[in-house]
Amino acid sequence: MNQFHTLVAAASLALTTALTPLTAKAETPPDTLIQAWSIDDIISLDPAEVFEFTASEILGNSYQGLVGYDVNDVSNIFGVVAEKWDISADGKTFTFTIRPGMKFASGNPITAEDAVFSLQRAVKLDKSPAFILTQFGLSADNVEEKIRQTGDMTFEFEMDQAYAPTLVLYCLTATVGFIVDKKVAMEHEADGDFGYNWLKTNYAGSGAFSIRDWRANEVVVLERNDNYSGDKAPMARAIYRHIPEASTQRLLLEQGDIDIARNLGAEEINALSSNPDIVIESGVKGSIYYLGLSQKNEYLSKPEVREAMKYLVDYQAIADTIMKGKVQVHQAFLPKGFLGALEDTPYSLNVEKAKELLAKAGLPDGFSVTMDTRNTPEITGMAQAIQQTMAQAGIKMELIPGDGQQTLTKYRARNHDIYIGRWGPDYQDPHTNADTFARNPNNADDATSKPLAWRNAWDIPEMTKMADAAVLEADAGKRAQMYIDIQKEHQMTSPFVIMFQEIEVLGRRANVKGFVVGPSFNDNSFKAVTK
Amino acid sequence: MSALSREWLLSEQPTSRRQARLGQVYRTWLSLRSNWLAMVGLGIIVVLILVALFADVIAPYDPLAGGDLRTARLLPPSWEHPFGTDEQARDIFSRIVYGSRLTLMVVALVAVIATPIGLLVGTTAGYFGGWVDTVLMRTTDIFLAFPRLILALAFVAALGPGIENAIIAIAITSWPPYARLARAETLTIRDSDFINAARLQGASSLRILWGHVTPLCLSSVIIRVTLDMAGIILTAAGLGFLGLGAQPPQPEWGAMIAAGRRFLIDFWWVATIPGIAIFTVSLGFNLLGDGLRDVLDPKARK
Repeated sequence: MNQFHTLVAAASLALTTALTPLTAKAETPPDTLIQAWSIDDIISLDPAEVFEFTASEILGNSYQGLVGYDVNDVSNIFGVVAEKWDISADGKTFTFTIRPGMKFASGNPITAEDAVFSLQRAVKLDKSPAFILTQFGLSADNVEEKIRQTGDMTFEFEMDQAYAPTLVLYCLTATVGFIVDKKVAMEHEADGDFGYNWLKTNYAGSGAFSIRDWRANEVVVLERNDNYSGDKAPMARAIYRHIPEASTQRLLLEQGDIDIARNLGAEEINALSSNPDIVIESGVKGSIYYLGLSQKNEYLSKPEVREAMKYLVDYQAIADTIMKGKVQVHQAFLPKGFLGALEDTPYSLNVEKAKELLAKAGLPDGFSVTMDTRNTPEITGMAQAIQQTMAQAGIKMELIPGDGQQTLTKYRARNHDIYIGRWGPDYQDPHTNADTFARNPNNADDATSKPLAWRNAWDIPEMTKMADAAVLEADAGKRAQMYIDIQKEHQMTSPFVIMFQEIEVLGRRANVKGFVVGPSFNDNSFKAVTK
Repeated sequence: MSALSREWLLSEQPTSRRQARLGQVYRTWLSLRSNWLAMVGLGIIVVLILVALFADVIAPYDPLAGGDLRTARLLPPSWEHPFGTDEQARDIFSRIVYGSRLTLMVVALVAVIATPIGLLVGTTAGYFGGWVDTVLMRTTDIFLAFPRLILALAFVAALGPGIENAIIAIAITSWPPYARLARAETLTIRDSDFINAARLQGASSLRILWGHVTPLCLSSVIIRVTLDMAGIILTAAGLGFLGLGAQPPQPEWGAMIAAGRRFLIDFWWVATIPGIAIFTVSLGFNLLGDGLRDVLDPKARK
């Protein structure tokens, strides 16, 4: 019922506009941070299940993981709940030591028992993000012997192969690796669910804030956690209000009803940038916008056509207008900020070159093709702009709009010609994107693993081998080079027209300082916000 | 044969059926013409039809292909772009002009689909009575129990978004009032002497329904359909606004408002112009419908 919300929001916007002259200038309480964000994607607050942008950010501020990384330099990995870790000689076993003296918000001390419980729990519950852990050869059956407590403050984490240590550590920074208070969770256990039903809407963590309340499509309220081991948060409360419409957020921000607006569009950013009370901040995110060209289509499977299409997107114009401030041009599958990211952008709009390539492919007059397009304003806007530049080379592209569910279902079933998509990495390691863009172990229709390369029916045994080798490379420098090599080839030959990397933008009142925009959503932090 | 003169048309003693019928039409036209509001409505609709017919002559730009994103995006109204440009650098005037085709198509198709269904159901129910009446009218009641837009939303959600499906959904949801109206009219005439006379002469039910009942119901149904057209336009625009009607890049007015909503504060024309277009055309149909009722409704005739 998204449309319904939009309607309600539009009506309330009209009302707000009408009432503007009557309302006095409001101000938020000095010890409370109020953010406006579209929070309708939250389905759970359990770290074992959370896989959504909004909930990830909330958990990032309210739970702690074993390890973390510097948001300005992701290659700097440090311990958080873990004080240190050792890797066995064969590279298959990590031994973690828990930092002493840390407490959960409940007052319970954090021990190795909690860490083991949290990881085992995530594997056994097997919710959507569980693959981040199970890819190391863990399963509900063997997890109790593979992740084992060896002392009050130590435990071992054993894998089936000697994976690159950076891969393992980055995976443990994901929300699925966050440490849950075993005592509190087990108090609320029902039918052997490890407290899952309770934790869906409640809290058992140790972060700077504790989650007090979540009302779906309305509000999330966080309170300062006085048992937090780090610096106490200056704000006593942090509140997310569900405000889906960008222009409503803008009006509220201008009036001071909220401190931070999170869903501003290009036009709002433009309009607010001249307002002295408001500061626009941004940070690059890992999400990538791309076109997936199905290799089942007779035209798109020609290599010249694939290359031609890469010359038929006006990358810079879209980034400068329709998506201004929201994306930057990026043409490799690893986003900037990742280990081994390739930042070359060899393609730009070149109709002549594209026509040449099409002629070489035997299609001098172009062809007709469809593109499944999610009906959000940004995706539709980009799709229409691409449609126009494609038309210049004779490619008649028909847009088939649908909601996220419809288009994605069709894409997953390999029934599309072209799909315009947005891909967000699951964790901070390059393997997360290499796994999906550059690996396709089985191109058959009934394959069990269905990465993006499979969805576009791109059969790449060689590149799959290269990606598999990169996962096992222990040396970070060599590993980065391997990913750069894969991306260079991928950029030339793949059926993916990778276009942009997302920039997250927020507008804050000028007096609100200290919000950190990190590379992934659980890195966004308001722990240190002051106003 | 005499000329189509005013005297011939208004003659008190018509010499042929054709003269009588044409005279009747002419008198209706005369009384409609004396209602200036109805003439305004008629004028708006004639303009709409002309614009739709000659869209490719009138529109200065391509409604689907935009200009340069960097320079021609969201331009305010000017001589070059009388209604400004939208977020894809397309000329809004051209889009409004081409959009009139979609609007007219929706209205015409819905009228063509829904009116016969309503007439058929209503006259059958009214003429036969009994269990036929009960079954048909309770079905009608079920359709009437839902607000039209909500029912149309449900149908489009089931059929998939698109202008064709929107038309089907609106048609499915708009026949019940016509059925009710036709049934009420049928009830008042089904026991009239001329119907009984026809029956005594051995006319079949089908013949009576088609030849005698339906023509008498037609005028009130036409009035109702004309008055409903504004509602049909609004429903189509509503579906377009919610993303379930015409799909981008089609220049449907409702969808244009939805796209322009994001820019309402800074670039008012993007959403306002299609809004004004919808308003004007709906008003036109309402005014004409009102005027037609004054003229055609036998009970209201002075």
